[in-house]
Amino acid sequence: MKHKLIVMAALLALTVWAVEAQGYKPGDVATDFKLKNVDGKTVSLADYKSAKGFIVIFTCNTCPYAVAYEDRIIALDKKYAPLGYPVIAINPNDPGASTADTYALMQKKAKDKQFTFPYLVDEGQKIYPQYGATKTPHVYVLQKDKKNLVVRYIGAIDNNYKDANDVDEKYVEAAVDALLGGKTIAMATTAAIGCSIKVKK
Amino acid sequence: MSRISIALLLLIAPLVVAQTEWKREIIKFDQFEKLVDQQDDVLYVINFWATWCGPCVKELPDFMAVNEAMKDRKDFKMILVSLDEKSNWQSEVIPFAANNNLNVDIYLLDELRRMNYWIPRVDKKWMGSIPATVFYKNGKKLRFVEKQLHKDALETIIKEVSAL
Repeated sequence: MKHKLIVMAALLALTVWAVEAQGYKPGDVATDFKLKNVDGKTVSLADYKSAKGFIVIFTCNTCPYAVAYEDRIIALDKKYAPLGYPVIAINPNDPGASTADTYALMQKKAKDKQFTFPYLVDEGQKIYPQYGATKTPHVYVLQKDKKNLVVRYIGAIDNNYKDANDVDEKYVEAAVDALLGGKTIAMATTAAIGCSIKVKK
Repeated sequence: MSRISIALLLLIAPLVVAQTEWKREIIKFDQFEKLVDQQDDVLYVINFWATWCGPCVKELPDFMAVNEAMKDRKDFKMILVSLDEKSNWQSEVIPFAANNNLNVDIYLLDELRRMNYWIPRVDKKWMGSIPATVFYKNGKKLRFVEKQLHKDALETIIKEVSAL
């Protein structure tokens, strides 16, 4: 009996580890959160009563890829917030491990770039592992389905981080357009280079 | 000196010379695929990094220490694949390699425009965060690791995949 319990506990631990390590796949139900915004207020996805879904982007202050996408993230929010898909940016980096990502510097970034969307602190780094984000920027498009938030797209914003004028595949726009049009998303996951998330030591 | 040892010396001499000159090349993904598809019983440790990537830069001294300890092994080769911008190759990557004694072949993978094509071909699970390290032998991928590796962890993996 004792042995059985130990084996079961080990199996359970392995399962939990596997779930955490994998994060969400398209079709999974995503968790909501309560995270502090750069304006000091707390933001939850549940606050957005009329939203049809969300463009959740894990991003940070100084990663060259995140910086290269700042203007495109603002453009996504300007285009899709009125259509029911606002951008919610979350900084997953631990400010101790990444000194460029302190709350004060996040506030400065949001002000300097005039972010039109919330820029939230993943305090205690509890949310990004549940989503399975591994890097910045890392996008999750969520769709409201009754009370649930269903993951519909995971990956990159488009296929050219360097030059917005030389993009021929806009993955996030294509995904949200498909959702708005009631169509299936052609590419539900994409891979792209990004900066690894800086974990508390 | 016997004829055999002279012949051996002649064989080894160019190898010794070649080892003092590390490759520095800009490549495309098809060239990368050929690089890791060599059927020569050598364990290839391929590290994806960039000069702008903090954890990548942090793990490099550990990688260099392991490589130094393995330098006499003919069945082991470490290669760095930079994901820096091509425009930073001469201005940043090459000087960085010299300043940090990166005594390994370094390639810059000039494929930042079709990442969704080649990243899953390196590994299906790879979402694209770096550092990432891949272990190949005879064209077969033995291990993929998408995180910073310390010296002990790297040595352990090398031992494990060498036993495969």
